[in-house]
Amino acid sequence: MMRQFALLLAIFLCQMTAWAHKASDSYLVVDVKGNAVAAQWDIAVRDIDFALGLDRDGNAEITWGELRSRQSDVSAWALSRLALTRGGICPLQVTGLQVDEHTDGSYAVLHLSGVCPGAKGALGLQYRLLFDLDQLHRGLLRLSLDGDMYNTVLSPTSGTEQFGSKQASRWDQFSRYVVEGVWHIWIGFDHILFLLSLLLPSVLVLHLRRWQGVKSFGSAAREVLWVVTSFTAAHSITLSLAALGLVSLPSWLVETVIALSVVLVAANNLRPVVEQRRWLVAFGFGLIHGFGFASVLSELGLPADALVLSLFGFNVGVEMGQMAIVAGFLPLAYLLRNTRVYLNGVFILGSWLTMLVALVWLLERAFDLKLVSA
Amino acid sequence: MSGALLALPVQSAPRTPAGDATVIEKLPFRAGDSRARALEALRARVRKAPGDATAAAALAQAYFDLAQARGDPRYVGYADAVVSEFNQQPSASLLVMRGMLRQYRHEFDAALVDFAATLAQDSERADAHAWRGAIYLVEAQYDDARKECAALLRLQRHVLHGGCTGLVQAYTGQLSSAYASLQHALTLARYDDQRLWLLTRLGEVCAWLGQNVRAERHYRDALALGQDDGYLLAAWADFLLDNKRPAEVLRLLAAWEASDPLLLRLAEAETLLQTSSAKAHVQALEDRFAAAKLRGDTTHRAEEARFQLRLRKNPTLAVQLALANYKVQKEPRDLRVLLESALAAQDTAAAKPARDWLQSTGFEDSRMRELAARTLQLPIPVIQPVVAP
Repeated sequence: MMRQFALLLAIFLCQMTAWAHKASDSYLVVDVKGNAVAAQWDIAVRDIDFALGLDRDGNAEITWGELRSRQSDVSAWALSRLALTRGGICPLQVTGLQVDEHTDGSYAVLHLSGVCPGAKGALGLQYRLLFDLDQLHRGLLRLSLDGDMYNTVLSPTSGTEQFGSKQASRWDQFSRYVVEGVWHIWIGFDHILFLLSLLLPSVLVLHLRRWQGVKSFGSAAREVLWVVTSFTAAHSITLSLAALGLVSLPSWLVETVIALSVVLVAANNLRPVVEQRRWLVAFGFGLIHGFGFASVLSELGLPADALVLSLFGFNVGVEMGQMAIVAGFLPLAYLLRNTRVYLNGVFILGSWLTMLVALVWLLERAFDLKLVSA
Repeated sequence: MSGALLALPVQSAPRTPAGDATVIEKLPFRAGDSRARALEALRARVRKAPGDATAAAALAQAYFDLAQARGDPRYVGYADAVVSEFNQQPSASLLVMRGMLRQYRHEFDAALVDFAATLAQDSERADAHAWRGAIYLVEAQYDDARKECAALLRLQRHVLHGGCTGLVQAYTGQLSSAYASLQHALTLARYDDQRLWLLTRLGEVCAWLGQNVRAERHYRDALALGQDDGYLLAAWADFLLDNKRPAEVLRLLAAWEASDPLLLRLAEAETLLQTSSAKAHVQALEDRFAAAKLRGDTTHRAEEARFQLRLRKNPTLAVQLALANYKVQKEPRDLRVLLESALAAQDTAAAKPARDWLQSTGFEDSRMRELAARTLQLPIPVIQPVVAP
């Protein structure tokens, strides 16, 4: 009863949680070149003792002798919980035992080597050390596979991890970021509204202070091409600079200026100030929109080993998303350009609505308000 | 992202010890120790009857108690492994255990599900109510927390009820009532661990009230009980640091380097006094945070924010960590590190959640109120592209 009761009070100390050392980790560094495997596996001495019992004389101290005399048990136990496959199972053996220190104490260092049946293709790795005894245990894997680096945290839910051959993995990484890029232009309403506001007048021309449709599809397409290309060029520059950590702006500022850019461009449709060189506007504000994309990318994270490739992939994705919008917009707008629906409904009313929405964003972002609940 | 984090800083320098007699590791206790024998008996029971939920719950509880007492998360992992054998059909005791383990990993929502399931099986489980109350307090859901306190009263757990109510009152701007509730619970408390806990909390409440002499008396009474308690030591060390008495922190925590939060306070005191060990301890903390990050552990962010703010002088990173921590934990100490970081980083927007919390709860600590007021007087940020070196 006392124990139970005393424990109950400790409950309100649940901040105690994170107090103290870290939980159990092992450090597994694997180098695979062709069919040859070399590895170093650091396992905490305390963990080995918990699993196998090392303290033969029961004095609460583990000596080098106590560990060394159990080398074959330790090896058999560890190897039964790690499986590597490349064209079949790669038999491993322990070639040496040493010790090392990490932040939470002493570790046994197992040196491993082995030969795989295959010298090419994917490498499979299954890790089960200690999971039967300690659910918080993690294996921190650093793998070099034919020169490509992979870092992974192995947990009870990891199962068998596959590490692809070079081409496949690079391509996967690239295409993943392309998809993310497409997705983020599609859900980034402020970017879409900015672009559309700039494009709305591209099928029109101002004649005697009145808007009317352009003569040829070619001139509309040229205008669109200029605007989209300069927007792209500008945001690619700042996106890359920000993603690589070379330049950074506070996010409230970026978001506020993006909202401002939409307001100004929509207002320009209603009261034209800039009519000719809209590509310059696209370029100027494109620079700030790039910072906006970068904040998305920083949430997503870039893999250290394929930084430039992933960044390029994300840019390509943003581009493809934009192109899809343009491809949908341009033919339709061109067809409707001389109708009242387009001139009054889409162009004038649309610009008004866009400006209002963007004004709300602007106020919210500049003054940290919540005017319209999302 | 994880790729960058995992640039393994394994300072690998494996060595072969000189001789067989070289001691390479010390274990927490001897095999013949009474605790070790008690633990071994519990393990044997589980081995003999692997399907016995009662035996499993007893072993898991023993591991969890050890984790609390020694501040060693390995035991939490062991408890977790014992409990996870019963994930299909857990008993009420195992459900409480699983909830406790989940809150330990800051998986509060999942933990609440377990406690709700426990109470569905057995509505008289005071421990499930108490844990729920504790989680609601951390999440700043005070109405929900009050309901759990009321349930504890209904179950006639008066000391627990006093502790629960006292904390809710303290966090919601009624420090005097909080003091009275905790004081009353103290008169009912029969065991030293209860007294220690209540005295610690009374010390905190007095410190918030600005009554330093009384605060010190409560802390000293708690220390005089002679039990090792990481939370008490941390609270007392914080009190000393706040009152510019770092030399006493040095003496208090000299033997507590193994505990991350206590090492943090020790390193702060050493840095203030410019002692020779300061640098090594700051580096040790850096290494430990890096090691935790490597395994994807994010439960240390409040401490890490304080570390970045006070010892690394990196307020920008401190603000990020404090904000990330605030999304999960919203107790006074979490808000204070957020305010201090935001102030140092001159980021008035980042301090907004803390100002809102102070406003809505009416929390009375004058130190925090002053910090919050200062964050409102920060200069309006100017446009300033930061170019990395």
